[in-house]
Amino acid sequence: MARAKFLCDTDRCIECNACATSCKNEHEVPWGMVRRRVVTINDGEPGEKSIAISCMHCTDAPCVAVCPVSTLYQTDIGVVLHDKDTCIGCGYCFYACPFGAPQFPRATLFGTRGTMDKCTYCAGGPEENGSEEEFRKYGRNRLAEGKLPLCAEVCSTRALLAGDGDEIGEIYRERVIARGYGAGAWGWKTAYYPEEQG
Amino acid sequence: MSIYQPGPVVVRGRDFTAYRIGGAIVAALLFVALCFQVWELFDGDARTVPEVSWIAADNTPDVGGMEASEVIIARTKLLDERWRTGPSPEGEIPDLALRSGVVLNTVPIEDPSPFLTEAWATPDNEALPMIKPSDRVAGISSLPYPAAEIFERPFARDWRVGIADLVTHLGALAILGFSFLLALLLAIRGRVPIVEGRSRRCVKRFGLIERATHWMTSVSFIMLALTGITIAYGKTLLLPFGEEFLGDAGWLSTWGHMMFFPPFALGLVIMAGMWLRHNLPSRLDIEWLRRAGGMMTDSPDHPSARKFNAGQKLIFWSAVLGGGLMVATGIVLMVPFYFFGVDGMSWTMLAHATIGLMLIAIFIAHIYIGTVGMQGAIDAMWQGDVDRNWAKEHHDLWLAEIEGKQPEGTR
Repeated sequence: MARAKFLCDTDRCIECNACATSCKNEHEVPWGMVRRRVVTINDGEPGEKSIAISCMHCTDAPCVAVCPVSTLYQTDIGVVLHDKDTCIGCGYCFYACPFGAPQFPRATLFGTRGTMDKCTYCAGGPEENGSEEEFRKYGRNRLAEGKLPLCAEVCSTRALLAGDGDEIGEIYRERVIARGYGAGAWGWKTAYYPEEQG
Repeated sequence: MSIYQPGPVVVRGRDFTAYRIGGAIVAALLFVALCFQVWELFDGDARTVPEVSWIAADNTPDVGGMEASEVIIARTKLLDERWRTGPSPEGEIPDLALRSGVVLNTVPIEDPSPFLTEAWATPDNEALPMIKPSDRVAGISSLPYPAAEIFERPFARDWRVGIADLVTHLGALAILGFSFLLALLLAIRGRVPIVEGRSRRCVKRFGLIERATHWMTSVSFIMLALTGITIAYGKTLLLPFGEEFLGDAGWLSTWGHMMFFPPFALGLVIMAGMWLRHNLPSRLDIEWLRRAGGMMTDSPDHPSARKFNAGQKLIFWSAVLGGGLMVATGIVLMVPFYFFGVDGMSWTMLAHATIGLMLIAIFIAHIYIGTVGMQGAIDAMWQGDVDRNWAKEHHDLWLAEIEGKQPEGTR
C-alpha cells in the first residue's frame, strides 16, 4: 500500500515560496489562512535553512484524536481530511498539531474562530470527488485525478517531495549519496514514527 | 457538642425506603457506566485509525485499493531526477502517471482497524537512517499568523495525550466514581434525617437576593457543565446519533458555553461578596471535618457549626477559587493568542478542562447533599426558610445567634 508523505529537502529549498503561492491559488484559500508556509531557520546566519511546511498527514494523527466532533478523519494512504459541515472551530487541532497546520478564518467573536481549514494533500473532502461543492469548501481534488499535491509538483528545485513515502525516501537517499551530504528528513520522526525511540 | 439539649430520635436515615431503592438503582446504573469507562481506558482505541479508503474509480474495492496505490506510486516517480523520469522527453513516463478525469474515489472502510497505523509507525531499514530526533524547531516566517514561525513542536503530541487520554478519562472516572459512591451511600445509609422530626417552626435562612444569586449561578454552572461535557465527551455520547447531530450539538455547545459564562461570573462575584465572611476557616471546622459532619450517624449530636459548616465552606471555596480559575482561563481561551502564544494556550486549555471536570465532580456532591442526601436541606435554598429542628441539628451556633441565645463558653 502507498503511504502519502511530504519530505522537504532543506539543502535544496531556496525559499521561493512557489509552493505556498500555488497552493493558495489552486485551492482559492480564503484571506487570512495558509495551507502551506515556508519557515526560515537561522535567518542571515551560517547554516541558514528554509523549509516548507504544511500538514504532514501524521501517523496516529493527533488532530483526529482530539477533535471533539469527529470533523477530522484519516484515509488509508495516511491523508488527513476534514469535514467543514461539522467543525465547531474550537481550535483543539491547532494545539495538538506539531506543525501548526490547522488554520482559522478568525471571523467570529468569543474564540469560535469559524470552521477550520487545512492542507488536504490536494484530496478534497467528504463531498463527491471532483464536484463543485467540494471545490468550494476544500479546493481542488488532484488526488482523485491521479495527481499529487501541487506544491510538490511545482517545486522548481524538487526540494519538496510528495507521494508514496518509500518512493520519495528512495529519491532523497539517492540524492544524498550523489551529492555527499544531507540533513535528514525534517519532521519525519514527529509526524510518521511517533512511537520510535530516540 | 451542641449547645441545645438533644431530643429523642424520631426519624432514622434507613427509614427512607423509597430513596434507598432509588439510590440502589442509580448506583447499579452508575456501576455499569463506570465499568464501561474502565473498559474505554484499555480498549486500545487511543490510536488514530484510517476510516476511508481510496480505490480506483473503474474497479471494485478489493482490487481498486491496490490500483489506487499503483497510481500514486507511478505519479511519485515523476518527482525523481529530471534526467531519469518523465515528463522530460528523455525520461521514461511510468504507466498510470498521466491520466485525465477522476481516476480515484473514496469509500468508507467498513471495519476500521489499527493495523495500518501500526504498520506506518514502524520504520523499515531504509527509512531509519533518515530520521532526525524530534525537536522543537522555530525560525522566522513572513506571515503574521500565530505560531507561523514554528516548524515543529513535538509538545503537541504530548498535549494530545493530555487532553484526549489523561484529562477526559480521569475526569470521567472522577465524575462517575464519585456519583457511584454517593448513590451507594444513599442506598446503604439513607438520607441524613432531621433526627428529632420536623418541628413545624421555621427559621429564615437565606434572603431573596441570596437565593436568586445561588440559582442564577447554579443554573449557569449546570449549563456550562452540560455544554462542556458535550464538547469533551460528545464523541462517546453523541456520535452514535450521527456525525451531523454531533456537529450541531457541538456548535450549539460552543456558543452556549459563551452565553452562560457572564451570569456565572457575575454570580461568583456576588456570592463571594455576600458569603466570604461566613466562610473564613475557624477552629470548629477541624472538629467538624474530624467527625465528617456527623453525616454517618443518626445521632442528634452533630458537630457545632455557625452559618456555614466546614463542608459548605469547602464548597464555597471550590466555587470561588475553582470558578474564578475557570472564568480566568475561559477568558484567555475566548481571545486566542491575545494573552499567550500557542504553548500558553495549550496549557490554559488543559487547565480549563481539568479544573472544570473536578468542579463537576465536586458539585455533584453539593447537589446530592442539598437535595436527596439530606432531609430538609433543599428548603434553605428553595423557600429560604428551614425547619428549626434542622437548624438546631446542623447549625446550632447560627440558630443561637439569630435567636439571641448566648451560648456558654463557645464564643
